[in-house]
Amino acid sequence: MPERLFSDEGPHEPHSKKVKGAIFADYTGEFPMPRVLNEPSPAGDDDAKVGAATGTPAARTSRGPAPAWLRAGRPALHELMRNRRQALWALGGGAVAIGGLGSGAAAMLGRPEDADDMVKTGQGGGNVSPRDAGSFSNRDSSYTSGQGDLNDLGASGTADSASAAAVAAMRATPRFPTPLNRDPVLHLLRRCTFGPTHADVAAVKELGIDGWLDQQLEPGKIPDPVADAALQTTPTVTMTTAQIRASVKDGDNKAMYELTRAVIARQIWSTRQLFEVMVDFWNNHLNITSPFDGGWDTRVPYDVNVIRKHALGKFSDMLIASARDPAMMRYLDNTSSDKRNVNENYGRELLELHTVGIDGGYNEKDVRNSAYLMTGRTATREGVFRYEQNRHWTGAVKVLGFQHANKSAKDGLAVGDAYLLYLATHPSTAKYIARKLAVRFVCDTPPQSLVDRLATAYQQSGSAIVPVLKVLFRSLEFWIAAGLKTRRPLENFIATARVVGTKPGADTGKALEDLYNFTRKLGQAPLGWEPPDGYPDVANAWSSAAGMLETWNAHRAFLQQSFKGLNNPRADSLVTQPAATMATYLDVLCNRLIFQPMQPAERDALIKFLGAKPDTRVTDANLGGKLPNLAPLVLDSVYHALR
Amino acid sequence: MNDLPEGERRPASLEELRRHGPNLCEAAIRVHADQVSDELAAERDRWSKGFTRRRLVQGAGFVGVAALGTQLVTSRVAFAAPEDTKGTLIVIFLRGGMDGLSVVAPGDDPNYRSMRPNIAIPMAALLPAGRGFGLNPAMTALYPFWQAGKMAAVHAVASPDASRSHFQAQDALERGAASVAVRTGWLDRVLAQMGPGTTFRAVAQGSALPRSLVGGEQAIVLNGIRDFRIDNDAMRSQTMEALKTLYTGLDHSLAGTAASTIQAINTAQKIANSQYRPMEGVQYPGGGLAGRLRDIAQLMKAGVGLRVAALDVGGWDMHTNLGRVDGGDMRNSLTNLSEAIGAFATDLGPLLDTTTIITMSEFGRRVQENGNVGVDHGHGNAMLLLGGGLNGGKVHGNWPGLSPGALDQGDLAGANDYRDVLAEMLKKRFNVQDSAAIFPNHQFKTLGVFKG
Repeated sequence: MPERLFSDEGPHEPHSKKVKGAIFADYTGEFPMPRVLNEPSPAGDDDAKVGAATGTPAARTSRGPAPAWLRAGRPALHELMRNRRQALWALGGGAVAIGGLGSGAAAMLGRPEDADDMVKTGQGGGNVSPRDAGSFSNRDSSYTSGQGDLNDLGASGTADSASAAAVAAMRATPRFPTPLNRDPVLHLLRRCTFGPTHADVAAVKELGIDGWLDQQLEPGKIPDPVADAALQTTPTVTMTTAQIRASVKDGDNKAMYELTRAVIARQIWSTRQLFEVMVDFWNNHLNITSPFDGGWDTRVPYDVNVIRKHALGKFSDMLIASARDPAMMRYLDNTSSDKRNVNENYGRELLELHTVGIDGGYNEKDVRNSAYLMTGRTATREGVFRYEQNRHWTGAVKVLGFQHANKSAKDGLAVGDAYLLYLATHPSTAKYIARKLAVRFVCDTPPQSLVDRLATAYQQSGSAIVPVLKVLFRSLEFWIAAGLKTRRPLENFIATARVVGTKPGADTGKALEDLYNFTRKLGQAPLGWEPPDGYPDVANAWSSAAGMLETWNAHRAFLQQSFKGLNNPRADSLVTQPAATMATYLDVLCNRLIFQPMQPAERDALIKFLGAKPDTRVTDANLGGKLPNLAPLVLDSVYHALR
Repeated sequence: MNDLPEGERRPASLEELRRHGPNLCEAAIRVHADQVSDELAAERDRWSKGFTRRRLVQGAGFVGVAALGTQLVTSRVAFAAPEDTKGTLIVIFLRGGMDGLSVVAPGDDPNYRSMRPNIAIPMAALLPAGRGFGLNPAMTALYPFWQAGKMAAVHAVASPDASRSHFQAQDALERGAASVAVRTGWLDRVLAQMGPGTTFRAVAQGSALPRSLVGGEQAIVLNGIRDFRIDNDAMRSQTMEALKTLYTGLDHSLAGTAASTIQAINTAQKIANSQYRPMEGVQYPGGGLAGRLRDIAQLMKAGVGLRVAALDVGGWDMHTNLGRVDGGDMRNSLTNLSEAIGAFATDLGPLLDTTTIITMSEFGRRVQENGNVGVDHGHGNAMLLLGGGLNGGKVHGNWPGLSPGALDQGDLAGANDYRDVLAEMLKKRFNVQDSAAIFPNHQFKTLGVFKG
């Protein structure tokens, strides 16, 4: 590993002006076409060549027939430009695709077969598959559809190791520069932890990128003393259903609330950060809101036995465990489904959300059969999963390519498990989960070629997650994507706690309660998304003044010791090196909190904020104790808002 | 070229366009890109100097700066004079699939009674709504509006999107099309036609941005206006200045969010300083929706230029325990909804005449009840409308009935297209005339829900 990869970048990149705005200054016509103009991009595969991508204008000129409005010989540009702010929006999202051409253009460019028909009374088509009805593959894809896929981030392919991929990506030029520096160590930590700390940076430098990742992928071997100690305040989160029922009042949501607090504690303090990132991923993928009606005794064991147990294992195991879990049975109404009264809720979400995705090709009959297959799976009053064969629907079933005679109620559970295994290893499931992982770790609109490679790895590994993650970290797309993700409110909150150096204190339990209440103000309480599809994972969905304001308020709360019971460093203790002038003080503070210096204009603004000048002495009496007000502002900046 | 907006220029001929790129498509994109670039520059300017017209981009000299002046006003907080207020649209999305047959019940339909032996509302309990329909008695708080002609319903409304999936049905409704070629939200396109406005012209309440508002038009997501301020800050005004600088001239969507956040903080300070007092006698009930509507009422009365508000209410996915007329999830949810909207509508006073409140939900529910005193996902549904300009006190739309032959896979058929309802509303109430730009590829019918 070359040493330069580990060194911080210079004081400031000379092309700062470029980063700050003129994305079109060097425009060469190489922007990705809007999806409607695009031919399917050639899918890369596992042995794709390592190196910078070589899209040239010439290579793009021969693409596809000109759209109708051009063929008509009337360049109706004003039509295209009717709503340029939409293009601005698409650009602003960090996605420099001219995808949001606007409604007029969308309508014009739309394929004729997509056209909506009039309502067809009486033939709404229960047998039309959602895919044929026209759909994005999930909610997040819909949110980002105006941006188009970023099929070329500036580098692509799979290297032999994560560090080799990092080196190759550093040599390439990102197509979508962001304000964040590209230091691969920081990038790795921004994506694989809930926010870098200086201790993390030191750890990666000591172990190397590959060594650190290997360690993180075996979380059981990493000691976790701080998180373990903090979890003493949430004793129910490792309990079984029977233990919870014995120690909590009937119907009391105490355990579910302790779980939400434990999520915060683990995300801030656990040393097994990548594991916790994956736990969060799966808790949203197989979402069971906490708290929810019916989870008081079962939600915590679901977290233990389904999510945490298999977070780095096999998805097929996780799925089968979830389908034998009392909390899931209650959450999606399978406890109310039997052969006489089939409730479709679980059978449907199993297909749409948990496995093949809405564009997986199933139709309403498949949904019905999926629900039949799951009948009999229920939960007892005592919160124990039970298969009751007298509730199982028997008879031939067919869902997509899965068929079974399903003759005997006695074997219904085994038939269901076979069905679940079929779903977990289905190619559509591979693609669906691959894209979700790419959205989590790479960017909101990941290149299809990367998704395809991850899906291939998923299928080859029989749905084992670690091999997929290893391909992801060996991809150049991962390493070239620095700064392309925006932290969601909870991620910003946790990253603040981590970088500031918040530690458990005199009353950690009470403090965790306060932290949890704050996350509700942020609009992203842990495990708090009510519909079964989990929190959105793309920036467009989180574009919110309320969310932004509350993250700004959180920065102040952490730095002004508003969370009693924790050990919060004081804002004026953040800069330990002696700094003579305001300018150096601010540089040190920025390095401490955002791991890079600010742009000159920003630095000037912050110095002016204190009514000072760059060469004002830090000891100047006129500063009047205002220095601690700087730190929250540094965290308010875009450098802490992105990852 | 006569139909171009003032100040906008484009290549006069195909030949001229062709010079901009290796092929026509590319050229069009490049010219477009130049304009975008220009707007980005203007965005940066707006921060420090207010808006100024920018130089033309080199190399594309004949592509002018288009109507920047009007567009940029969008981002400025301005307190609109009362005569500038052209009405407010409040869209309440009932997430989960409201059971329209329980809300506007076809009381005298024997199929309704036979397929819903437990959950059908008894005829005597219904609030008469005409054409054999009756409103659920949980809507008592709204019934005075119905009787006064300020409320109406359209039944058997659907989207041609056939899916019974929550996501897909919501997604299609919120984008205003089932076709994936339509990527912006329908309310975003409405805003584009409404033209410029203030920071508060489009407000969503909650934590996430509703899909219907995704697009290029600015919308602001708030979670209450009363405490919308920077806390724990002894240097609040300097902080605001510094934040403004930190997000000035940044090519990132966060810059836009920061701009509206900062503007919202400033405005909130002005309007939220004093305790809001609803109109005499108005009691908002508890619950999230009521609080949000109360905030909306406050914003509207403060004259901040609110044109569109989008609110979400969850909890309508009643597979189980929809319940009977005297108890259950439907009674609870509907009572809460009705009391909240009723208080809001009363609180608005004369403003209600220029306001239109509509409810939408992704689909109706199956006609046949299931074994859990609930109903599974269905198709046709009822929409509720409240405000001025309605042909009120009526259930509108074609009614296909519930006879076995009329059902769509066991569900109430979609006899009326939601786009016809919305397009008529937009035309008659908000002067948004280009329905095809809001709902592409649709042939419109007028249902006569609104006057005029």
